[in-house]
Amino acid sequence: MPFTFNINDYDNVEPLPLPLEDPSGPALCSIMYSDEYKEALGLLRRLLLLNELSVRAFNLSTHVIELAPAFYTAWNYRYRVVEHLVAEESKLVGDPSAPAVWLNRELDWLDEFTLSNPKNYQIWSYRQALIANLHPQPALARELPITQLMVDDDSKNYHVWAHRKWACAHFADWSHERRFALTYIQRDPYNNSAWAHRLATWSHDPWDSEDAFTAEFEWTKELIARVPQNVSSWQYLRGLCALHKWDQKLLQRCTQLCEQYNDESSYALEFYGYLCSRDDVNRGQDAVAAYEKLAETMDPIRSGLWRHKIELLRSKHN
Amino acid sequence: MSNKNSKRVQYINSNLLGRKREPIEIVQEEPIELIMKELETETTIDRNEVIDMCQDLLEGELSSFHRDSMMQYLNYASTAQFPPQMTALDASQPWMVYWIANSLATVKPSSIDDELKRKIVNKLFTISPEKGPFGGGSGQLPHIAGTYAAINALSLCDNIDGCWDEINKPAIYDWLLSLKQPDNSFITCNPVGETDTRGTYCALSVASMLGIMTDELTAGVAEYLESCQTYEGGYGGTPVGDEAHGGYTFCAVASLFILGRSDLIDIEGLMEWCSARQYNEEMGLSGRNNKLVDGCYSFWVGATAAMIEALTGVECLDKSALQRYILNCCQSDERPGFRDKPGKSPDFYHTNYVLLGLAYAESSFSFKDSRTDNPFAITSTQRKNVENSANLIPISPIYGLPIDSLNKFHDHFVTHKK
Repeated sequence: MPFTFNINDYDNVEPLPLPLEDPSGPALCSIMYSDEYKEALGLLRRLLLLNELSVRAFNLSTHVIELAPAFYTAWNYRYRVVEHLVAEESKLVGDPSAPAVWLNRELDWLDEFTLSNPKNYQIWSYRQALIANLHPQPALARELPITQLMVDDDSKNYHVWAHRKWACAHFADWSHERRFALTYIQRDPYNNSAWAHRLATWSHDPWDSEDAFTAEFEWTKELIARVPQNVSSWQYLRGLCALHKWDQKLLQRCTQLCEQYNDESSYALEFYGYLCSRDDVNRGQDAVAAYEKLAETMDPIRSGLWRHKIELLRSKHN
Repeated sequence: MSNKNSKRVQYINSNLLGRKREPIEIVQEEPIELIMKELETETTIDRNEVIDMCQDLLEGELSSFHRDSMMQYLNYASTAQFPPQMTALDASQPWMVYWIANSLATVKPSSIDDELKRKIVNKLFTISPEKGPFGGGSGQLPHIAGTYAAINALSLCDNIDGCWDEINKPAIYDWLLSLKQPDNSFITCNPVGETDTRGTYCALSVASMLGIMTDELTAGVAEYLESCQTYEGGYGGTPVGDEAHGGYTFCAVASLFILGRSDLIDIEGLMEWCSARQYNEEMGLSGRNNKLVDGCYSFWVGATAAMIEALTGVECLDKSALQRYILNCCQSDERPGFRDKPGKSPDFYHTNYVLLGLAYAESSFSFKDSRTDNPFAITSTQRKNVENSANLIPISPIYGLPIDSLNKFHDHFVTHKK
């Protein structure tokens, strides 16, 4: 049987209609389904009930998923069918790696589907289940092009960045990622997803020398110089330093950097206030002045936070 | 050319004509005194467009809450049949029930009359004839989000016809336990589903409301959640280093409050991140750094701020400004219901969460008798002198439900255990 949906394949399947919910009238939040959807749903409900794990069940899941991409039950059914067919194929061929061809074709289909349904949730968990549980020869290389295409199209798509990190962690290989994040940071230095991705690379794959850390610190400084009023780069710098561990030299470097931008960036001033509040910097007066300036002129909508920070400092010194 | 017009031309050039241009530095006058350097990128183009749309709406008088049109919208929603285009939500039917019923309960609890309660119960028990756990619709697999939404909706039905006693607690408990993963997250559905803080929140919300929290269910969960807090101060979906996000942050923080483990939160970091969600220009809240404001974060981030407030007494958001964004930018004269932002259409999801956000903006939060480890002890009281108050019902920021009905439901299962 070919892997395409054909309604004639289900001639001997009696559709299982949806139960009547409310004899007194239409049920709450009921949807006026199209005939096509009603028909597909009826067939799916019947095959599910029979627990039929077959090629035509597989094809029906394709059809339902195309009509209602968020229909997670069809995704789950599809997974169980694939699991079954793959096991059968291994048995038939006697070669446990034979299903790879089959699963790669499924991933190809999924790539296509993903590109036309970028906001869908189910594609990613389905994909991860195929890779982690069924595929005999899964590869990170298979995940990189599709995620790149998706980020090119929608540069802050949360699911795509999350899947990319999942894949790197799953295959314990972060070697492509710093460059990947860099591309998007250079394209748009405000892309916080790319910054967060880059920081994740350091937590999973730390620098091996002080020089490597310094290079990253200097690179971040360059990005800050390009756009000083950017929350992402300042946050990144702070995150990077926390990973490194704060020492006096680093505290001093950061304080000086902030002083350079305090007049033109509220995020520099926020970082500066944080640094000056630290016990190992202990410049409470400067911190209070920074928070006052933030509350009064540079970032007044957050004055609740700034006042709290000032109070913390005052209670510490009393 | 005025600044506004030049921005518009740039927008048209880059977005509509599809011309890829090198970023050029423009000096832009910010509404707040300073001249800050800005680089023109996708992010700033999108944001400037939103600022343009909000600015005129924000200036001038504070709108009042369109209570009548809201009630018409919700009453219509609770009686109408939805068009075929809404088939996309076929696997989210309990969500729709919860969003609509909860919106009604937040504006006017008496509007959920016995007839509507019976319709809600009928609907949910048809979805799950076993009366739990619940899927997205009839014959669909049990799903953690569907179960969460169904239990929430049932809590609004005041045990009509004894429906609370019919909920299948043992089946829900066994099923929740079957969703627990080796890393102590919960998968949304077996065998294929997401594992992230959202699944954890749904599981804990349901279990705590029904009084079926056991050590077995909760062991290691707090530590899993703790590992999702990121360098930004908010929480990502998973511990892998995901970007901090309003929805996942709410789920993680509310979960920790349900577990009575708010001590595991880096509270200063979280406070900083929450407060950074609010922008001086739009006054509303965004879900991530350098992303656009969206009315739904009035709840996801607002509720997180409310939990922080109940714990520490610190208000880290400007509630009056948020109220202004909601009243002036999330409602319109043309269409009833709440929307994400100007230029978008209202829907049930945004209506519910913007309403809950509005309730947050008009209230103050604390824990009764400082019982910060008891999620059902959180209280919400109307702030004094709120201009144009919508007079909404007090909402639990942990559960996203009216506190009265929530506590009644919980008492039914826990205090007066049957």
